[in-house]
Amino acid sequence: MNRILTATLLIAALAVSACTNPDRFGADGMNNGAANGAGLNGGIVPGSVNDPASTAYFQQAIGDRVLFLIDQSTLTPEGQATLDGQAAWLNTNTDYQAVIEGHADEQGTREYNLALGARRANAAREYLLSRGIAASRLRVVSYGKERPIEICSNEACYAKNRRAVTVLAGGLTS
Amino acid sequence: MHKGHYISGAGHLGLIGWLLLGNIFTSRTEPVEMQEVSVISAAQYDEMVAAAQSAQAEAAAKPAPEPAPEPEPTPEPEPAPEAEPAPEPEPAPEPEPVPEPVAPPPSEEVSEQAPELPEPPADVAVLAPEEAPVAVPRPVERVAPEPVEAPDPEARTDEVLREAATPDAPAEKVVEEAQEATAPEEATTQIVTEAAEAPKASPNQSARPPARRPTPPAPQVAEKPVETPKPETPKPATPKPETPKPEAPKPEPTTDKDAVAAALAEAMGTPDASPAPSAPSGPPLSAGEKESLRVAVSSCWNVGSLSSEALRTTVVVSVAMNQDGTPQTNSIKLTSSSGGSQGAADQAFEAARRAIIRCGARGYQLPVEKFGQWQNIEMTFNPERMRIK
Amino acid sequence: MIVRILSICLALIGGVASVAQAQDGPLRIEITEGVIEPLPFAVPSFQPESGDAGQMAVDLARVVSEDLVGSGLFREVPASAYISTVSDFNAPIQYADWKAINAQALITGAVSVSGNTLNVKFRLYDVFSGAELGTGLQFAGTVDGWRRMAHKVADAVYSRITGEGGYFDSRVVYVSETGPKDDRAKRLAVMDYDGANVRYLTDSSSIVLAPRFSPSGDRILYTSYESGFPRIYVLDIGSVQRRVLESAEGTMSFAPRFSPSGNTVVYSLTQGGNTDIFTMDIGTGQSTRLTNTPAIETAPSYSPDGSRIVFESDRSGSQQLYVMPASGGEATRISFGEGRYGTPVWSPRGDLVAFTKQNKGRFHIGVMRLDGSEERLLTASFLDEGPTWAPNGRVIMFARETQGAGGASSLYSVDISGRNLKPVRTQEGGSDPSWSPLQK
Repeated sequence: MNRILTATLLIAALAVSACTNPDRFGADGMNNGAANGAGLNGGIVPGSVNDPASTAYFQQAIGDRVLFLIDQSTLTPEGQATLDGQAAWLNTNTDYQAVIEGHADEQGTREYNLALGARRANAAREYLLSRGIAASRLRVVSYGKERPIEICSNEACYAKNRRAVTVLAGGLTS
Repeated sequence: MHKGHYISGAGHLGLIGWLLLGNIFTSRTEPVEMQEVSVISAAQYDEMVAAAQSAQAEAAAKPAPEPAPEPEPTPEPEPAPEAEPAPEPEPAPEPEPVPEPVAPPPSEEVSEQAPELPEPPADVAVLAPEEAPVAVPRPVERVAPEPVEAPDPEARTDEVLREAATPDAPAEKVVEEAQEATAPEEATTQIVTEAAEAPKASPNQSARPPARRPTPPAPQVAEKPVETPKPETPKPATPKPETPKPEAPKPEPTTDKDAVAAALAEAMGTPDASPAPSAPSGPPLSAGEKESLRVAVSSCWNVGSLSSEALRTTVVVSVAMNQDGTPQTNSIKLTSSSGGSQGAADQAFEAARRAIIRCGARGYQLPVEKFGQWQNIEMTFNPERMRIK
Repeated sequence: MIVRILSICLALIGGVASVAQAQDGPLRIEITEGVIEPLPFAVPSFQPESGDAGQMAVDLARVVSEDLVGSGLFREVPASAYISTVSDFNAPIQYADWKAINAQALITGAVSVSGNTLNVKFRLYDVFSGAELGTGLQFAGTVDGWRRMAHKVADAVYSRITGEGGYFDSRVVYVSETGPKDDRAKRLAVMDYDGANVRYLTDSSSIVLAPRFSPSGDRILYTSYESGFPRIYVLDIGSVQRRVLESAEGTMSFAPRFSPSGNTVVYSLTQGGNTDIFTMDIGTGQSTRLTNTPAIETAPSYSPDGSRIVFESDRSGSQQLYVMPASGGEATRISFGEGRYGTPVWSPRGDLVAFTKQNKGRFHIGVMRLDGSEERLLTASFLDEGPTWAPNGRVIMFARETQGAGGASSLYSVDISGRNLKPVRTQEGGSDPSWSPLQK
């Protein structure tokens, strides 16, 4: 009996301790939340990557981007798996909308890369639609080769630049 | 068996065998290659020689109509008689010496007279450029972005002067001036034609015999008619001067009889027209000599600034040369062009002309003894291989 | 009697001889090889014909010289080599002095200033022919526009000697770039073709791409992300006022070009991931679809007579060039070489199309005839793209980006012969150049 009581008290204490101002630690909120919540379902800092409803979670845990092979706009199996996760998340967090950005690497001419980026963004969108997301929640834009995230001029960087990124908008932390 | 059969069989076999094998025993001789050699008579041979000589000499001969080559100069030979076949009906007895000497004598005569001829033209030639309004720039009128009509009254008066002063100028010169009369009117709105520009050339013409051209008097008369054939090279075009020639200085031809006169005039006229006068021709230019001229002009032919259309245009340019190997600047003419518009042809011609003048400034390496061969040159500038690759 | 006989004989012989002579004819040779060299010219400082025109006289001659030399077709004989000088615009030319220094063309000029008005006149001489080439010209303008006068003089000289139209009195609109590759700041700028007189038309708050001049040189079409999505805008250069060419929600539009009439815009529209070519009437906003395939169709360019459009499409599996009627319809492929072809631009002379080619990891600017024949590559580098034609169809400007993390883009120009490749002076990096028509 004592043990049960102790456990209950401990749990209650822990549960209460989790009710803190997530912003108290400022930028470190997420990190601390992660540390606090390690191993336990408790300690969820809203907005932190551990908050399954947060964009951070969407970006890091689920993955906000899919990559493409050179000249391709077809989804790879990994891409599809990532998008499955995105779809699930979006179906859960219905307040959010998204703009899917399509990008290309620098190995091409400007207009063609704009169009190629559009194809990639659209491929991701189509897939999400097929997973039940409402069309009105998803828009697409292409940046062609204008916004690379890696700037070296070889395949290692190029591979990362050929992407479709789902950027969330709306919701609590828009 | 009958003997007859044996004999017959043997005979047949022998025949067959001989047919088959007979060749083995014959000596094989190579077929003899026969050179075609035609046999001509001594007379014909001489005739050929005389004809060749007279061709040269006659060229020089025409200016010497009076050349009373008369009878004396009988240096040569007899063979000639056949050369001048028809011509002498009456001249049977005396004419003998005549027809022959005609060949060689004229050459002598001409050589004597040659020096005289060029003088007048030389004088005049020098005069002309001095009078040219080279120094007087046309008054530039105001206009925003458009070319202006430049009045240019001076030019006109000068032309008149020039024409009068250069009666002896070669036929083309006259042509140029005639052309110029109209040029200034148009030139102000468009590019000045080469013909109009030419006379203004600085005295590029040396005082030396510019061209052993037609006799001095000829051009005077020829002024108008010559106008038409302007674009053509000053070839010894036989048809050209026929019209004007009637008045051409006839030697003796006491033109009593019109028939005779007419015949003479015609005949006289033609030789007058042929430009290659007393210049020694010598053997034809060797390939090496031609090549050196080609290379020299090529090295100055700069196509770098030509439009792509001009680079598709082939132009044929004619030029008369001085004996020292320098070109007569104002004789350079566009004879014909192909492959482009008139504008492109003009550009191509200008580049060709610059090439001829620049690399010829010190005279091309051409053998003086063959001057007759290269006195008039026609150059075809074909830029096909120079086009943008 | 004897005389007559002799005369007749002579005449007849003469006739025979002349016939023989006529067969000789002039010496004939054919010249098939020449040299390709810049033509040497001299342009002494112009004559100041009013008190305060001294510096202007020097500057004008200098800009004329820079234009001609910059074209690659001319070489200046420096003033230090002059034997005689030109001290009076109307004085006779001492041709021998210019021949001696091998100046084949001589340009003399005079300038006078009165108030804000500038008067410039010039003459061009063919030195070796000893005569003026063409007629002298005079221009009047403002003092501020003095560079344009020099360009007009250079254009007249260039055109008179080469037979081509000039291109020096023209402007170029381009994207001025600053910053690292992953955070490029882009804004529209317009300048003289030689880099002078730069003016910025937008700020760098949003991405701007591929500006294009109108046929009259007064407006620019370009693509901007200021709305968050690529949209086409038309901007008036004088007032710097712009307005958007509307396209539907959910679509993206880019790669616009004017038709030769200036009333229609041809462009690419992307919807549902598919990019096709459309035209729009600028006045009414009415749009018309020209292509309808699942392939990417983009980068359209009109022929100078407005009857046809050349564009790129990957319908064959890779980017290639196609030509179709300006109203749409069947497209004919014109590129067949190894590699990929894009950004086609029709030459203002109508005879060639310039393009960007990618092959084996290298980029090239090239030209080909409109039937695809005579393909010639003019450049090769890590990344060359986006050619634009000078008004005379003889020079091409394009952008070249260098490799690696520190890479930057700058403008270059090259003659269609492939010669005279050189950078265009801009203060910062530049891309997407577009050359204006010759200014009036």
